Amino acid sequence: MNTKPFSPYVPRPITLIEKTQLSDFVTRFTFEQDNGKPLAHKPGQFVNLSVYGVGEAPFSISSPPRRTNVSFEIAIRRIGAVTQALHNLEPGAKVGLRGPYGSSFPVMKFVGKDVLIVAGGLGYIPLRSLLFYQLRHRDEFGRMVLMVGTRDPKERIFVDEIAELAASGDVEVLETVDMPDNTWKGNVGVITTLMPKVDLDAANTYVAMVGPPIMYRFVIGECRKKGMASDQIFVSLERKMKCGLGKCGHCQINELNTCIDGPVFCYTDIEAYQEAI
Amino acid sequence: MTTYTVYKEQLPELFATWSRQYALYVPAKLREGFYDLVPWKQDLEIAWEFDVAYNSPKRFLLPPKETLITFDRETYEAAPVFDAPPQILFGVHPYDVKAINQLDQLLETGAPDQNYVRRRDATVIMALEPLTVSHTAFWASVGAATVAHGFDLYWTKIGPASFTVEVGSAKGEELLMVVGNILPATPGDKEGARRAQSRILAKARRHGLRYNWEETPRLLSKSWDSPLWRRYSQMCLACGSCNIVCPTCYCFDIREEADDALKKGVRNRYWDGCMLESFAKVAGNHNFRPKAQDRYRHRYFRKGKYIYDKIGELGCVGCGRCVRACTAGIANPLKVFNELWEETAHEY
Repeated sequence: MNTKPFSPYVPRPITLIEKTQLSDFVTRFTFEQDNGKPLAHKPGQFVNLSVYGVGEAPFSISSPPRRTNVSFEIAIRRIGAVTQALHNLEPGAKVGLRGPYGSSFPVMKFVGKDVLIVAGGLGYIPLRSLLFYQLRHRDEFGRMVLMVGTRDPKERIFVDEIAELAASGDVEVLETVDMPDNTWKGNVGVITTLMPKVDLDAANTYVAMVGPPIMYRFVIGECRKKGMASDQIFVSLERKMKCGLGKCGHCQINELNTCIDGPVFCYTDIEAYQEAI
Repeated sequence: MTTYTVYKEQLPELFATWSRQYALYVPAKLREGFYDLVPWKQDLEIAWEFDVAYNSPKRFLLPPKETLITFDRETYEAAPVFDAPPQILFGVHPYDVKAINQLDQLLETGAPDQNYVRRRDATVIMALEPLTVSHTAFWASVGAATVAHGFDLYWTKIGPASFTVEVGSAKGEELLMVVGNILPATPGDKEGARRAQSRILAKARRHGLRYNWEETPRLLSKSWDSPLWRRYSQMCLACGSCNIVCPTCYCFDIREEADDALKKGVRNRYWDGCMLESFAKVAGNHNFRPKAQDRYRHRYFRKGKYIYDKIGELGCVGCGRCVRACTAGIANPLKVFNELWEETAHEY
């Protein structure tokens, strides 16, 4: 019998395998669990990472679930104490992990349907888990359309990967930046300006979107204009989180706990909540 | 339910016996009109008439600072820390027992909070029927005047030197029997307890909600855009005093400390409060409740609707502590709910 006392607050050790800089502030981290097991997450879920002595913070998983591969990826923006400490780590360093936690994108609903993925800024990071999971089973889905919006060209992340996706023909890719510089040849404008550029079979399309708080209501408005219903729209929402267990109270959206009821929500389930979007 | 009669002269021996096995807390007067549960010691005068303990008993189950884990920065091994001292809380009023019952439900559902569960399991609750009512209290109007469970023993003072003690658990009965000469209550004593209880209930009912408390979630669902939220919250100091004294507030922050050599450390949880400015602020400084109005309204919705939707009870037990603690005089669930009732009454 295992008599080691259990507490949901105890992280387990993982090891940093690789670090790849994606932009001035964003780095992709590849980790492996020290227990030798795959993370067994679903697209859209998050984990809490600990750098002991600094703290713990929640992060979306940006790689798709893998049955056999024990490594997983998390792309992180350097913006606070924990993310700075993570950026200071070198391969071989250990990190603590709790999770995976939270709800996920309902991939099985998307089977046989067209899927529009709307990624604003860092929103590509969690959506990448969904996108590559679908691509691994590409023949099970209809059209796949990816919209990527970034504030300025310097902040674009996964640039080569997104270019490869566009070239592969598996995904229709539309990109825009809000504030172009003289290197930028593509679309200019906020992400909603991409919506009129695609014809969608509204009744047959699911939307998955992640972006900054301001983005949702405008993109949802565009989806409405195209004739999509609330139950075809899935969003992942960011909130402050501490426990990941529905206890500490920080992530509440009205009466919902983002950490256990979300972070992925069907819009039908949150449109009545004033604090959601 | 078995009920016994206990005489005042039996208490010193009971308390002394218990205090050898448990940390024993009893109500005492700190200064005029100011009471709290304090460690029992010989000859301490028990404040039988206390109206409310200024600090709620949640601190015995969810301490203001509690270590959750220890970690090693080199090996990245981490281990849970549990500190669950055996303790007896003597003199918990029924509204506070109700609050503890709520914490039990909320912290033990889903992924049970093991630190809370262990502390709760090591705690004996000896409820006490109040003899007076705080002028800010309204527990009789929010369904918190009586509790059916959550106590090990329930004490009611029926005379100058006698009590009835209703048994709520075998653990409670065993603790009562340690002195050996406790007799079952007579029908007369039980009648005395019923009278004492109806006397206090009559007193408590003078001050309360003007409507049936079960209407609160419905009235809040009509009140999201009420001007009341701004009217009161514009004076909010965002100090979190209402959160701190509230017996049902349990939100917490998690922070950590490393030792001087930066080799090992501990991760602690601390009480947090939804009225504090940074409560919903994320990295990058986006605040999901930036205005005092957002935070103030959230607290009342949580007490009056969100908790109710989860467990079928109000998240406010009517103790009135927040009313006393609020420097700006705006924390007042009774006033807020009654005014929202007035505002929306014409819709019924």
